[in-house]
Amino acid sequence: MLIRNGLHYIKEAFNSVYRNGWMSFASIGVVAVTLFILGSFILLNINVEYIAEDIKQQVQIVAFVDESLAPDEVDSLRVSLIRLEKVEEVRFVSREDALERLKEELGPLVEGFEGRERNPLRDSFEIRAIIPEDIPALAKEVAELPGIARVDYGRGVVEQLFSITGVVRWIGIVFMIGLALTAMFLIANTIKLTVNARAKEIMIMKYVGATEWFVRWPFLIEGVLLGFFGALLPTVLLILVYSEAVAWTSLNLHFLPLVSPGMVIMELAQLLLVLGTVIGGIGSLVSMRRFLKV
Amino acid sequence: MIEFQRVSMAYPNGVTALKNINLAVEQGEFVFLVGESGAGKSTLIRLLCRELLPTEGSIKVHGRDIARLKRREVPFFRRNIGVVFQDFRLLENRTVYENVAFAMQVVGATGREMRRRVPDALQLVGLAAKAKMKPLELSGGEQQRVCLARAIVNQPSLIIADEPTGNLDPRTSMGIMDALKTINIRGTTVIMASHDKEIVDAMRQRVLVLDGGKVVRDERRGVYCQHAN
Repeated sequence: MLIRNGLHYIKEAFNSVYRNGWMSFASIGVVAVTLFILGSFILLNINVEYIAEDIKQQVQIVAFVDESLAPDEVDSLRVSLIRLEKVEEVRFVSREDALERLKEELGPLVEGFEGRERNPLRDSFEIRAIIPEDIPALAKEVAELPGIARVDYGRGVVEQLFSITGVVRWIGIVFMIGLALTAMFLIANTIKLTVNARAKEIMIMKYVGATEWFVRWPFLIEGVLLGFFGALLPTVLLILVYSEAVAWTSLNLHFLPLVSPGMVIMELAQLLLVLGTVIGGIGSLVSMRRFLKV
Repeated sequence: MIEFQRVSMAYPNGVTALKNINLAVEQGEFVFLVGESGAGKSTLIRLLCRELLPTEGSIKVHGRDIARLKRREVPFFRRNIGVVFQDFRLLENRTVYENVAFAMQVVGATGREMRRRVPDALQLVGLAAKAKMKPLELSGGEQQRVCLARAIVNQPSLIIADEPTGNLDPRTSMGIMDALKTINIRGTTVIMASHDKEIVDAMRQRVLVLDGGKVVRDERRGVYCQHAN
């Protein structure tokens, strides 16, 4: 009985997808378009976050060392810096190295500053935080250490960068939720049309004594099928388009770091397929609820 | 078999459709429900199908109060009832055979049972030769016969027919009545709402007259109008 009914439900679901040809096509189309937009937005959001993260990782504190410090005192200062809780990495830049860098950047302008006496620069430490957002607080702690003359981390600019990436993240989340809800609404409505077209059938089923689940199962399976096939299309398309886009960017815009396809496509595919299937199933159950009240 | 005890029914909009109905129908009876539009015939039928619940009183079918059925028990209760509608309600994209088999499929019958009972039901209503046709290729009377075959194929103990001849011409109507009579003779109870004076008078069966939501007349071998007696 169970197997016979199961086969019947699946057969009915496929029959119905076939019988309601255009309606099925429309449902699949709506699912495909909405999930494509959602998927594109998710990829965009992931990459904006990735780029923001990349920029954040480049933010560091430069702590200038008091000139009066002896080399062994500088060394113990380094140790106390490393011991700070929020510190990820500490790199010592001697005043000679700093001058070298400056020469590389500015060229002949810095001629004539060679030699210990003439070099106007200080020894410094470049410090990275474990969490980039901790940089302003960490800078304060570093500045309080004895032997640190001055601390620089791009005050103001860094705070602004962090608040912008925070806003971008929230906008992204709000948009994604909005798009997912829109997708669910559109899909539920389209499936409602297929259910409406079969209201008579449902009514007859109820009159001859069909149980509620006997009526529901084929529709549920149909919704799941429409949702799944609707999700398959944008998933494949997004994978292809994104892989191409990443390949093109790495050749032509190599300063723009994009998330490699291997890192995201499996998860994106899973998300879209599950979302399509679940939305299809729920949409179909919700749409047929009122027809069951006979 | 069917017992209405002090049944009243008021719709949520305040309209009282039935008032204090008491009646009993025995197994194997043929009962006409007659009355003007709005007299309460359809409400009574919908109560019997347990599409509606009475606001007062109890309705017992085979000794069981159907208002107390749990939601999941309702489908199994309905399997004892075959319903025939005025507007047929056939699935147009399926054949005559499939329409009748559909009722069996829904209750979980096996393919073998269907192959045995569907032709029997079609034979009984005189449509054995048209099993492969689609409903829209049939006349109105034939479509109503398909509906009848669908109602009897699960061998219910009760057939409820709501104006089954309402859309048919007199000759075709008599054909449907013959089929109903045959089903009734085999032991199935038939309750039929009708406007059709000729049919009611010709059949000489029990007649229940509803007026303003009350049973105003109940005659064992009655006719449509009292003054016609």
